[in-house]
Amino acid sequence: MFISYRLAEHSMNQMLEAAVWFWIPLCLIPLGMWFLVSGKAKNLGKVISILGLLLVLASSWTVPSSDSTAAGHLILSIIAPTLLLAYGVHGMIFGGNVPVGRLDPSARWSGLFAVLVSLVIFCLMHWYSFTPIWRDGQINPYWIVFWPTFLIFSTSMCCVASVGLVSYGDNRFNEAMKLAIISVVMAGIALSAMVFDGYLTTADQFRDYLWLSIADIFGTIVGITLAITAFAIVIWAYEKSLPLPENTAPPSEEEIKHVVSLAISHIGGEEE
Amino acid sequence: MKQSTPSWKLLALAAVLPILVLVSISVSFENDSHPESFKRFGNAVLTSYVVMGIILIGNLFFYADSRHRPLAPLVGMIFALAVGLALSWALISNDDLLLEANSGLRAQLLSNVVHLLVSGTAMALASILAFGMTFAMITGRERRLLFEEE
Repeated sequence: MFISYRLAEHSMNQMLEAAVWFWIPLCLIPLGMWFLVSGKAKNLGKVISILGLLLVLASSWTVPSSDSTAAGHLILSIIAPTLLLAYGVHGMIFGGNVPVGRLDPSARWSGLFAVLVSLVIFCLMHWYSFTPIWRDGQINPYWIVFWPTFLIFSTSMCCVASVGLVSYGDNRFNEAMKLAIISVVMAGIALSAMVFDGYLTTADQFRDYLWLSIADIFGTIVGITLAITAFAIVIWAYEKSLPLPENTAPPSEEEIKHVVSLAISHIGGEEE
Repeated sequence: MKQSTPSWKLLALAAVLPILVLVSISVSFENDSHPESFKRFGNAVLTSYVVMGIILIGNLFFYADSRHRPLAPLVGMIFALAVGLALSWALISNDDLLLEANSGLRAQLLSNVVHLLVSGTAMALASILAFGMTFAMITGRERRLLFEEE
């Protein structure tokens, strides 16, 4: 009786720790973003979001007993190549012909190099010893969820971008071909992972998780679409139930004079 | 405007075709069926529906600012969310329908949220790569002269 009580108490403490150090910080991230987007408390929103993100990233140390914190550990593991990828993409975009915020043209090459290095790091995380290690020398269970999902979705998105550029762009065949090549490269990496074993995962495992990743991608898209549809129906039904707005009275002479004076005061410039 | 309809179909095909190719190659390696994929699909649908619903309820507060804070849309959206939660509870609790390698309902629900976090991160990163490279290609071309000066 005493032992079972102690066990229950221990389990309760673990749940409380997981809630305090992982789940609440995870909820703080969207909460901070809401504040940020609303414009009502931008600074507070930034602080809350960053604090939540830092606590989620540190959760594998603060509450190591919780299995959920493997996600925080994975995000921490991929943060360096992710930042490198974002830096590279930024350099490639703004090193080109942009009307504002233009960088030096060499930023395009350094950006391309950063993107390639980030992709190589991701590949090394699968085929070399950079694989995220979780407890007791075991691979992080979410790495094999992240990796196929990233490869499949980027293959698909680059293919969409390529076709979109040809369909909607004006004489963009060369650029579309480059995007198609990126899509083929990503598909090639996925194919290699299906054939060759990784450092801590087998090709069989990757092929199994490929199916799960596809199910994940389609499921997530369907779920998000359903939620947005429900939201649109709710708003549409409410707006439809509202009475038509009444016509306002035409402006008085005084109001017209005031508007004209305001307009005159804002239309300036000297004649040449 | 006439071009938009076939283009959308083409885009949808472009999105699905690479996935189908990879699946076909995967099938050629082994003829195993993957019953767990259905469970994953179901869990992903319900989890993303509920999480997106919560985010949209948050957005309703900003919408309400311009509408004298009506309760009707909030109640409607909470009802829609409750339906999603009830479905999740019913389908996960029902024998082996949506329960994956987890001990019970609560573990499965928490696992689903974490799974969505990871797959969402992967999809966001892939989107950064795809959209970033698209814009990089667009801005990479030298400006062309539209009109020759006479």
